[in-house]
Amino acid sequence: MSAPQRVVDARGLEPPEPFVRTVDALDELADGETLQLLIYREPHPLFRMLRQNGYTYRSSLWDDGTYEILIRKA
Amino acid sequence: MQALLSFDQAPPFPAPLRFFLSAPLYGIAAGALLLTQGEAVLASRWLPGALALTHLLTLGFLLQVMLGALIQILPVVAGANLRQPLWLARLVHLGFNAGSLCLIYAFLRGDPAAYLPAGVLLGSALLLFLLATGLALKGVPDTSPSIRGLKLGLVALPMVAGLGLLILLVLSGAPALPLVPLVDLHAAWGLAAWAGGILAAVGYVVVPMFQLTPPYPPGFAWQFNRVLLGLLVLATLAFFFGIPGLPRLAEAGIALAGAGFIHLTLDLQRRSKRPVPDVSRRFWRSGLAAALVACAMAFGAALLPPLATLSRWAPLFGVVLGVGGFMAILSGMLYKIVPFLVWLHLQNLGRPAPNMNRILGEPAQRRHYQAHLFSLALLVPAALFPESLTRPAGLALMLSQGLLLLNLLQACKVYRQHGRPATPQTVAG
Repeated sequence: MSAPQRVVDARGLEPPEPFVRTVDALDELADGETLQLLIYREPHPLFRMLRQNGYTYRSSLWDDGTYEILIRKA
Repeated sequence: MQALLSFDQAPPFPAPLRFFLSAPLYGIAAGALLLTQGEAVLASRWLPGALALTHLLTLGFLLQVMLGALIQILPVVAGANLRQPLWLARLVHLGFNAGSLCLIYAFLRGDPAAYLPAGVLLGSALLLFLLATGLALKGVPDTSPSIRGLKLGLVALPMVAGLGLLILLVLSGAPALPLVPLVDLHAAWGLAAWAGGILAAVGYVVVPMFQLTPPYPPGFAWQFNRVLLGLLVLATLAFFFGIPGLPRLAEAGIALAGAGFIHLTLDLQRRSKRPVPDVSRRFWRSGLAAALVACAMAFGAALLPPLATLSRWAPLFGVVLGVGGFMAILSGMLYKIVPFLVWLHLQNLGRPAPNMNRILGEPAQRRHYQAHLFSLALLVPAALFPESLTRPAGLALMLSQGLLLLNLLQACKVYRQHGRPATPQTVAG
């Protein structure tokens, strides 16, 4: 995936704020753009929603415990 | 995008709730047992009352909350969706509670005839739960330490249940195995590999999520549950093959590993973005502190085995770890999970959901926290001097668990009030 054009840093935010902010950011995501979500857990409910709504994503765990999720339209 | 906010994979609210609401009833029953039977309950771990008390707390409260929490949390933490979660919850809850009550009755009445139905009911309910969770987790890759920890924790549950069934067989007359180390092994699998392992796996997610702490270091989290399970396997092999010294080594290792997890969690909590701890975090903190004391006791007993043979040792260890540790941590967890579920399911119904702090206010939680500390302050000396304080401690435990039940019911009331369809308005003219 290319370098992210949009970033949601959800580390240290209480639920449901990370989900709400990500969904808002997806609203503004143009075709070909990548959204980077940084969060301290694997957001499985979000993954399911992304699959259902035609997004692709890739998740990786950084050494400091941050999960980086890169999202773009399929 | 509002439609996307629907967390449609969340199991129905009644699925976990039936477990959460049942747990304090067992806590109240444990208090009532202490109140009515007095010092006989805490005099020795082998007395009928002590066995009943232990299982009221470990099966009725601890395992009960964990079963409900796992049904709720598997889709969120692991993306593992249970099939027919409401039916699964109904069946498991029914069988598990019928079996638990049967077992407690068998202990209290000293009626060996009740061991068989207890074993069958508990065994079937747990087997059903394990089959359903195993099926849901099948094919789910270990992409996070939580998923691995949950899988390893679930491996521990059949060991706990299997050893429990073996003990029931030994009590019924066959086979002839040494009872004390077998019971110790059953307790170690239950408390360390199952309860401790699952709690850690869930903690990797919920501690940073709800307490706004930094994450657990992945290097630690990936290995902790493996180490815990490995040590338990070692202790089990040592028991069945009669290897002397190895169980003590494993016990010391488990105590050290547990202390490592507790120390790390307390350190993360100190670095929370929320400077003033809420009641949930206070429950966690006091629970972790008590569990640390229990780890120190277990480590001490591993080094100096005569300690564990002191008459007051086992009751004290049970009170500190069971009530002071696990009961407190699970209460802290419930105070985050239940209001969040009320909010979530109201959202899914399309109803305006109140702020989570208004679903279950801090003052009500604080009253429970204070009652919990009060009960612990009586239970610990009661474990040491059962003659004088057991009955007041029982009353205090009933009060503390009664407040937990009332608080959970209050959250349900908010759900019912806000989830009710609006009354249609008749417009004149």
